[in-house]
Amino acid sequence: MSTVSPNLSSRTPLSERLDLIVSPIFAVILGLIGTAVWLYSDIDSITEDILAPEKLQRQLGETLVLGFSSSILVILVAIPLGIVVTRKGFPRLKNFLVDTLGLAQALPAYGLIVIFFSFMGAGITTVIFALATFSLLPVLRNTIVGLEQVDKSVIDAGRGMGYTSRQILMKIELPLSVEVIIAGIRTAIVINVGMSALAFLVGGGGLGETINSGLKLDRGPAILIGAVMVAILALVFDFLSALAQKYLKPKGL
Amino acid sequence: MDFLLSLLEFAFGRQEQVLEALAQHAGYVVSVLVTAGVFAIVTGIVTRRNQLARELALSIASVFLTIPSLALFVIFIPLVGLGFAPSFIALFLYSLLPILRNTITGLDGIDPGVLESAKGMGLSPLQVLLRVELPLAWPVILAGIRVSSMLIVGIAAIATLVAGGGLGDFIKSGLARLPLPNSLEAIWLGTILCLLLALVIDLILQAARLATISKGIR
Amino acid sequence: MSEPLIRLESVSKSYGSGAEPAVKKLTLEVEKGEVLVLVGPSGCGKSTTLRLINRLIEPTSGKIFLNGEDVTDVDPSELRRKIGYVIQQVGLFPHRTIAENIATVPRLLGWDKAKIESRIDEMLELVSMDPETYRDRYPKELSGGQAQRVGVARALAADPDVLLMDEPFGAIDPITRDRLQNEFLRLQQELKKTIVFVTHDIDEAIKMGNRIAILREGSEIAQLDTPEAILSHPADEFVESFLGSGAILKGLTLKKVRDIDLHQVPTLTAPVARDQALQALQDSPDQVAVLLDDKEQPTRWIDEKALNRTSQPIEKSGRPVTVNLQPEDTLQDALTTMLQSSVGMAVVTDRKGKYLGCCTIESLAKLIMSEG
Repeated sequence: MSTVSPNLSSRTPLSERLDLIVSPIFAVILGLIGTAVWLYSDIDSITEDILAPEKLQRQLGETLVLGFSSSILVILVAIPLGIVVTRKGFPRLKNFLVDTLGLAQALPAYGLIVIFFSFMGAGITTVIFALATFSLLPVLRNTIVGLEQVDKSVIDAGRGMGYTSRQILMKIELPLSVEVIIAGIRTAIVINVGMSALAFLVGGGGLGETINSGLKLDRGPAILIGAVMVAILALVFDFLSALAQKYLKPKGL
Repeated sequence: MDFLLSLLEFAFGRQEQVLEALAQHAGYVVSVLVTAGVFAIVTGIVTRRNQLARELALSIASVFLTIPSLALFVIFIPLVGLGFAPSFIALFLYSLLPILRNTITGLDGIDPGVLESAKGMGLSPLQVLLRVELPLAWPVILAGIRVSSMLIVGIAAIATLVAGGGLGDFIKSGLARLPLPNSLEAIWLGTILCLLLALVIDLILQAARLATISKGIR
Repeated sequence: MSEPLIRLESVSKSYGSGAEPAVKKLTLEVEKGEVLVLVGPSGCGKSTTLRLINRLIEPTSGKIFLNGEDVTDVDPSELRRKIGYVIQQVGLFPHRTIAENIATVPRLLGWDKAKIESRIDEMLELVSMDPETYRDRYPKELSGGQAQRVGVARALAADPDVLLMDEPFGAIDPITRDRLQNEFLRLQQELKKTIVFVTHDIDEAIKMGNRIAILREGSEIAQLDTPEAILSHPADEFVESFLGSGAILKGLTLKKVRDIDLHQVPTLTAPVARDQALQALQDSPDQVAVLLDDKEQPTRWIDEKALNRTSQPIEKSGRPVTVNLQPEDTLQDALTTMLQSSVGMAVVTDRKGKYLGCCTIESLAKLIMSEG
């Protein structure tokens, strides 16, 4: 749930491996807690109604749609934008963006969703745009940082051998920054899946509904099971992104 | 422009309420930064020599950041009830990673020659830590604290959903009253005050940076 | 005289108005097949000058001709594909294998696959790297010296006429650097490329260059001449101070052992009779003789004292000959070997180790003095 990108400089083989081990373990523990609550606590008819399978199924579907659409929207906007501002001629815009992004982290997602709602009305598109705006920052920042950390001498050598600007971008800069950019996308996906739990606030559905019903009707087990499901979903997506990060990065790095 | 005026009017019409929400919000940030700061720095110091312990601590801290905020806020309700407690726990867990990571990076980044010569002059390990390592790593640690502070200012707005107060109260009440008069003002006020609070905290940390970092490494 | 391959005509480059130009009205010609070294203190604009040639930097004014053609008229990327480029940081693509790195320009030029494949092996062999071992490795698995070998192979892959080298050996440890320099000189003897070579190291300039341009600030030529001429007749104080002390010592890298009149000491071929050996030593003005084995390779220095120690066979007395000079070695190598030798002279052999004669301080001094 952060706009903080994973630490890029110190990704050791060990930390990469732990990356793929620790979140599944957490997911399993949370799953066990959820199951235990479901099996051993008092489940009255109201709780049963909140946790009705067809409801959960619908909410899960909504959450996935929200997470996917907003992530794709972010990728389509933030990466090209990051590429543009790192080209020559935009140093001011880039510095402005980098400076602003730090502070913009303090923007509450809650407020953002509600503000979008006040303009766009209820519904799923509102939430998708709000989420995309909120998770734009990590992808944009990682795209900028990723492109800028490419060794200048490698670019110089590429230019010196006759690569055109486009070839340098496609064959050197992007391959060499893909790991950092994917790390940003990973953060964005986790944010989007997680924040889609707030979609219920503006009629966008999602698993947040279960939590909200639990809160409103004071049903602890429902709250807990809802929270566990949201958390597991985020952990699963984080895990999948970590896999992508591992296998999409070019060999030789 | 009209909206800005009515926003100001709304804010100054409820000074007491605004100040209370601000104080609650800032209270979260300060208490969390202090406790999580101490906890993360100590963890970083303790685990820094053992690679497995260090990476494990980092991995666990980063899993906390992966868990959606609403989930983390409500998951402790069955144990500790509503209000301040679940919000504090969630924010505490969220703010660990940036501080822990920067503590480890900062301590790692110290020139081994400096440590060698400190040892050579007869400083005990504790003295080396307190007089050499921490002062040299402090700028990096402080940068981590800054990232954490920005992060929790934003997330603390969720506290209102578990009756934890803070600036989220305005957003919640505004949303509940839409489209009645003053509802938009309430939503924007909550959001903008979060950004302003973040700006003020950032300035304070900048000042702390100037005051606490040796001129030699600034 | 033939048309120079590269010609800079009153070229200037300034960054922003008001600032002193990095290159000020530079006119320079590079002949086909020569190594022209640009040398000067840091910030004198030598790298900028180099990068003007392949238009990594666009000149503010002036013209640059390559093969008589104005390079400001052609597409810069196409131009660069025809010019080899080697830099200090090497700049290998870390995400590509060694083979893919070397194939960069041939691929850009659209060579067919089979030709590229065979070219990769040819290039690796050219820089003394085993293709089988290195083709599929990644740059991070190479040492600094190996990386720069690949850098040179990559620059030469499309067989460019011109090679631009910006401090190519600057980041490499002194011993490896020396070896790479020697190998590069050997390569250049075969390839006869036209090379512009930038360095801040005057010793490297003297060693590598057919001609040297000593530059001062603004890339202004202080002196442009052969290394010999610059060493013997520095144009002004700037050049003199840049050469530093010991210009004669620096000149030692310019001459080879083959230029020396070798001194002949008595030779003994194993097996030898003791009295015969004594006789030979007493007939000679030298205090020492060289013992050769059956392949005429020098093995030991033999003097009277050693011969008189009858407890040991002659083949095991005296001191061993540890280092041989060869005709291609520089006078600097000769001087070092002599100073380290126990008898104050050094043995010279041919490439196969066959004895040719000895090199003495006197013969070295005679050669240097004859230059005047």
